[in-house]
Amino acid sequence: MASLDSTPAAAPLEGAPPRATARGRMPGNAALVAGLLVLAALPLVLGASNYMLGLLISALILAGIALAWALLGNLGGMVSFGHAAFFGVGGYTSALLAAKLDLPVLLTVPLGGLVAVVASLAMLPALRLSGPYFALAILAYAQIFRILATEASWLTGGAAGFQRYPGLPTVFGLDLASRTGSYLLLVAVVALCALAYVAVWRSHVGLALRAIAESEDATRVVGVNSVLLKSMMLLLSAFITGVFGALNAHIIGFLEPDYAFSGIWSVMPIIAAIFGGYRTVVGPIGGAVVIYLFDQVVAKGLIAVGHQIILGFVLVVMVLAAPNGLVGLLKAKGGRHA
Amino acid sequence: MIDLVLQALFSGILVGSVYALVALGLALSFGAMRIINLAHGELVLLAAYCAYLVESRTGLDPYAAIPLALAVVAVVAAALFLMIDRIREHRELNSLILTFGIGIILTNAILLIFASDVRTTSSPRLQDATSIGPVYAMNGELVAFALSLVLMVALWWWLKKSWYGRAVRAVSSNRAAATLMGISPVRTELAAFLVAGALASFAGVALYAMSVVQPALGHALTVKAFIVTVLAGVGSIPGVFLAAILLGVTEALTVTLASSALQELVGMVLFLLVLFLLPNGLFGARARRG
Repeated sequence: MASLDSTPAAAPLEGAPPRATARGRMPGNAALVAGLLVLAALPLVLGASNYMLGLLISALILAGIALAWALLGNLGGMVSFGHAAFFGVGGYTSALLAAKLDLPVLLTVPLGGLVAVVASLAMLPALRLSGPYFALAILAYAQIFRILATEASWLTGGAAGFQRYPGLPTVFGLDLASRTGSYLLLVAVVALCALAYVAVWRSHVGLALRAIAESEDATRVVGVNSVLLKSMMLLLSAFITGVFGALNAHIIGFLEPDYAFSGIWSVMPIIAAIFGGYRTVVGPIGGAVVIYLFDQVVAKGLIAVGHQIILGFVLVVMVLAAPNGLVGLLKAKGGRHA
Repeated sequence: MIDLVLQALFSGILVGSVYALVALGLALSFGAMRIINLAHGELVLLAAYCAYLVESRTGLDPYAAIPLALAVVAVVAAALFLMIDRIREHRELNSLILTFGIGIILTNAILLIFASDVRTTSSPRLQDATSIGPVYAMNGELVAFALSLVLMVALWWWLKKSWYGRAVRAVSSNRAAATLMGISPVRTELAAFLVAGALASFAGVALYAMSVVQPALGHALTVKAFIVTVLAGVGSIPGVFLAAILLGVTEALTVTLASSALQELVGMVLFLLVLFLLPNGLFGARARRG
């Protein structure tokens, strides 16, 4: 049944010119702003339940990575199974810079993103490979960093972990290290990334990338450097992921290689983005919140060890029944009634 | 020292032969469908746990589990194929995500049923060592090596001589033309998928009989199989075999000469070097990859 629901959304997209498909897929700024206002107001509505805020903070971290992943998937046309690499590199960089060089945390967080970009540069040659090869190259690549972080114990503390580095500071009287402060900061950063995504999408670069998605060969013929544009998406995606890795490191206050480079940071964003709809901006964000809360509150209660099996089913069902995600489903429904 | 290196070379070749089986299955389903089955390592794992189940319940030799493993993996592989076949849009990327999800389901299902403990065979016949000149091998490793050689010849024969094997190659090189010649691409792809599953079944049982298995292994096996296919380049069975041996030997030498923590790293580095310096692989001169 559900697969039928997704066809009306897909059908007009096939025939219509690219510009129209683009319009149809992108939610306006209004929806985005409204969603984020709801997110920001949530902790006030829910009261200051620290447990709930903690969950939402983790969900927003995932939302950030999911957004970065979806950006690479939607605009770059690439599936990444290795975003854990950028996440871990961002976290370790920021924590180490803050602890060893005494740099302010608000500076080390973007630096974490930048070093994640540097790490992603090594991945650029893989962009010459077509879809599945890139996906698997980056999967292998992520493992390297986990092993390096474990082996370089003189720098990272190795498997024993790394703590004793500064947390988030107080800015304008708002203690960012507090649950409420961290939460609001994350809402703001996620919003910023979402706006950056929309800006890229609307720019000439975004237009060219959408054209590449339709036909890479045709786009190259008219003089678009597709490899360069895809590289830019990889770097941007790595930067965003690195920033969220850094924020997470300062919020959690503890890093170890198996945690910072855990496959979870690659897997959860994929599930979140696919569930929400990776071809939209709100999809990955909403998907991350729903999936993470579901996993932690419902799935963990049902099955203590191995609760990810439910997420696996979610992933499979979504790909088969609603490849455009929940947002795609809702749009298809709305479109029919209108 | 020289003894240690010789031993590492020998063990690496034996382990590499099992990597070759895993990689051939992955390469076969990729060759036939242009789809990388990210759950392939989990199929191998499923077979390994079938062997564990049979051995622990009945006390029989792990290799007695081969019929069960073949049946279980064939059912899962067929289900996997039917799901992939249902994907209509963005087939390449969606199938990656789909098979990745299946991998998560299988790993966690095995975790739920068998717990996260490390399992290995308790058969003394398989665990006993045989000395061949200056080097030693577990009997389980020797059996796996022999099995791997036999299966590779069988696969070569199947692809070259059998009707379905030739159909697989036809569909792989030109799907539309093959269809016009009266070959059903769906049935051919299903055949390739089932043969890949059979290879995975044998590999899983062999792996259980010579080494240790645990739920997280499936993912690692998929990565290793992929590394082997990139090293080999696209196309030839001997190429995959040599690349798998190369990976096995490199890993074994790293463990002997450096540390076991670096074992995984060295495979990845080898992989990235080949990917960036010889994008067509070590043995795939004419191959193209997109």
